[in-house]
Amino acid sequence: MLASSRQAIRHPLHVIFHPFEGFWELKYEHHPKTIRNTALVILALLAITTVLKAQYSGFLVNLNNPNELNSLMEIVYVLVPVVFWCTANWSLTTLMDGEGKFSEIFASTCFALVPLIVIQFPWIWLSQGISLEETSFYHFFNALAAAWSLYLLFVGNMTVHQFTPGKTLLTMFLTVVAMGFMAFLCLLFFSLIQQITSFVYTIYQELVLRG
Amino acid sequence: MPKKTRKTCRGLLLTLFGLMIFGQAAEPVAAGERQDSYNYSAWGKAVPAPAAYEATQLINGSEFGGTAFKEPSDLQVAEDGRVYVLDSGNNRIVILDDKFKPLHVIDGFKREGQADGFENPQGFYVTEDGQMFIADTGHARVVHLDAKGELVKIVEKPQSELLAADFQFKPLKVVVDPSDRIYVMAEGVFDGFMEFGSDGVFTSFIGANRVEVDPAEYLWKRLATREQRSRMVMFTPTEFTGFDIDDEGFIYAASASRNGEPIKKLNAQGADILRRQGYYRPQGDMLYDNAKGPSRLIDIDVGDSDMYSVLDAKTGRVFTYNGDGYLLYVFGERGNRLGQFDTPVAIERSGERMLVLDRALGEITQFDVTAYGSTLNEATRSYYIGDEERAAELFQQTAALNANLDYAYAGIGKALLRQDDYAQSAEYFKRSMDKDGYSKAFLLHRKELMRQHFSWIMTTLLLGAAVLAVVHFARKRKGRAVYARIK
Repeated sequence: MLASSRQAIRHPLHVIFHPFEGFWELKYEHHPKTIRNTALVILALLAITTVLKAQYSGFLVNLNNPNELNSLMEIVYVLVPVVFWCTANWSLTTLMDGEGKFSEIFASTCFALVPLIVIQFPWIWLSQGISLEETSFYHFFNALAAAWSLYLLFVGNMTVHQFTPGKTLLTMFLTVVAMGFMAFLCLLFFSLIQQITSFVYTIYQELVLRG
Repeated sequence: MPKKTRKTCRGLLLTLFGLMIFGQAAEPVAAGERQDSYNYSAWGKAVPAPAAYEATQLINGSEFGGTAFKEPSDLQVAEDGRVYVLDSGNNRIVILDDKFKPLHVIDGFKREGQADGFENPQGFYVTEDGQMFIADTGHARVVHLDAKGELVKIVEKPQSELLAADFQFKPLKVVVDPSDRIYVMAEGVFDGFMEFGSDGVFTSFIGANRVEVDPAEYLWKRLATREQRSRMVMFTPTEFTGFDIDDEGFIYAASASRNGEPIKKLNAQGADILRRQGYYRPQGDMLYDNAKGPSRLIDIDVGDSDMYSVLDAKTGRVFTYNGDGYLLYVFGERGNRLGQFDTPVAIERSGERMLVLDRALGEITQFDVTAYGSTLNEATRSYYIGDEERAAELFQQTAALNANLDYAYAGIGKALLRQDDYAQSAEYFKRSMDKDGYSKAFLLHRKELMRQHFSWIMTTLLLGAAVLAVVHFARKRKGRAVYARIK
């Protein structure tokens, strides 16, 4: 138990520094259940980091109006893109001969987000002690975290599906397009549901008020 | 105590209280004023604010037995408080004293011994020594009269290769700078203002607006055939709608620009040097519905200490900004009651009063400053001349009257910074969302903290390093021992 929990902490850190080896181990060597749990924890940590960042970042780098901050929405802004990405990626790669299972796609995506936590979390507190000139460091490190995560996402996708680099890039691009489609369909769906409920409600009211 | 008496008592108390605090100010309207004005917060939201000016009087020219104004189009106040009204419908200039009692009427002048008059003049300018420059639109000329109403010169349609052959000279507004150069805003001129030398000779254009292109319209034009295109509206730069000149000779110009800069401050070369350091650029209303569109600024007036006010013809609101571009207060609206307008065309400052001229109603509305407005004006002035202590004190009072005025906190922060109270100062800058000020105060605060706590910070660091080194050393030895035992 101790060994596995220790591994659960070490493995993500190993992945971000040795992505090719790490993602290989993620797919073929580690226990799927441990991997899944670790992925969920990473996602939760990222959500927490995002909320903390929105609330506690230093004044000079925080563009959020504290009166309008909604922690639940911040969490949704983390979860929804991840879920969309995984679903879109899975839908595409099943058609494109990808070898990854959904759980592997999800795990590799979450593992790729680790740099965002590792870099952003300390910077939440550091940003409270910097001056306007020093904010460029903050922005640099944030950009670095994003670039690193993107790279990991690329490697993860490549390893999980056993794609060539070119095909991985194409898949990633198509995944983004598919995410757009999904967002559109969701909007359409919700707006239609809204219309239908309001229609039904109107009829109900009509009946109640006349009867 | 009967209800009515109690009310009166309270009113009296309030008045007394107001007099106690603001007794030294130039008779502001009593405290406890209306709270129905608004301002924009640092987050760009409309927030309630107390009224800074209140309408007190309507003047239509017939109060002291004179003829009522008919479609007046411009208004100016001289240094001595005399009010000049350009009564376009009656083709005359009416000069009133500061109580609006008519002193003179100028309805014509003598030109080479013959009587001459104005026809539908649209704008005029009165210099400090009372000389008048009238944009005599109907006669296509600018008339220069001295303080007594005698003709000095007439500026007619200029001859220049800069102008097209079929150029129609229709001067609408005119201003004169301290060295007697005349700037004319003319109808259908898109190249900026026409600048005339003190002798009345045309020299050049200055301060042209840029052409603004609507992308959708541009696309249509690309698709259209040549014949279609020739029938479409041309892309032309926005015309200016009003202008004013400050003591240093800078021209403040307003235009109905949708995407560009609706307010400009032009130097002698025509470059825009308006400071836009506020929460958003000076443009009148920031929030509006798309059907109505943004503010249509029709006139601008520069006051002392770089404060300027613009008049929005669409909503009838007057927006006043300070020299840095922060919105100070808003007043006025469209409507039928006192303090509301139908077709406002001109705005002018007269000491602590503001006068707004309505063309359709032929009325001047006088606005008197309230306690809040006067404190804010005074604070802005003190800040402008560099008296930050007094400014902070006044900003403190302003903030007490209107906690929503985010800008006031920066003023307090600046004074605190000077008093070396860095932590407090940073806190105030934060409240006013002033990142530069905050950073400055915070850096000093950080330095101070570092100096104060240097000894224990350094001790902890050194101790920590020592502990780490010992642990590392011990582990290495232990490792070696284990290794040796295995061997």
